[in-house]
Amino acid sequence: MSAAAGPAEPAVTTLDVLAPMAGRVLPLAEVPDPVFSAAMVGPGLAVAPELAPGTAVAPVAGRIVTLHPHAFVLEAGPGRGVLVHLGLDTVQLHGAGFTLLAAAGDLVTAGQPVVRWDPAAVTAGGRSAVCPVVALDADGSALADLAAGPIAAGALLFRWT
Amino acid sequence: MADKAAAIIAGLGGADNILDMEPCATRLRTEVRDPAKVDTAALKKAGAYGVLTAGTVIQVVVGPEADTLASDIEDLLE
Repeated sequence: MSAAAGPAEPAVTTLDVLAPMAGRVLPLAEVPDPVFSAAMVGPGLAVAPELAPGTAVAPVAGRIVTLHPHAFVLEAGPGRGVLVHLGLDTVQLHGAGFTLLAAAGDLVTAGQPVVRWDPAAVTAGGRSAVCPVVALDADGSALADLAAGPIAAGALLFRWT
Repeated sequence: MADKAAAIIAGLGGADNILDMEPCATRLRTEVRDPAKVDTAALKKAGAYGVLTAGTVIQVVVGPEADTLASDIEDLLE
């Protein structure tokens, strides 16, 4: 929610996007996947998660419009889709090791657990556990206050202006 | 959306060229018989953000509508 005083136009409010899990923040360009590193579906940041069983929480409040075991998209408003991808090439795991804690179509609050998973199991399988968090179809210049370094789950990752 | 599905099938070299298709969160992971029949420009014209080719595995980056697009394509392929 924006801190704008008085009646504001909803379309111009700034969206705070939170870290879906604790870890270390990486630029998308360092993600070893050509789609994410080239920001093909949008700009964002990635979190290299702690290698221990944990939950991925909703980075924004909104509706779960897409839900896979290994990835989900939340819609916080018109044109405000946020993708969280749990590890890379994890579609190949066909859901093994992922437990859904919410359902497609659910309205969730920011910070609400969505998927339980184990990043260490993903890396043990030879895949990267890095989690891109993407502002879908956003302009690169629309992101501000980008976090860097270690981050706690639910801490501000970036602002989508 | 069905038109887009048809355009993607055409861009992948037609239904006969598509061996397998799996939607991911942002892309269609497709295996084709003959990668030479894949028309990257046509796929981009159909709305793909990008196309990644590795041998016979073609990834068509379509964004978050990959799920619905894949089911539309499966409907057309059946």
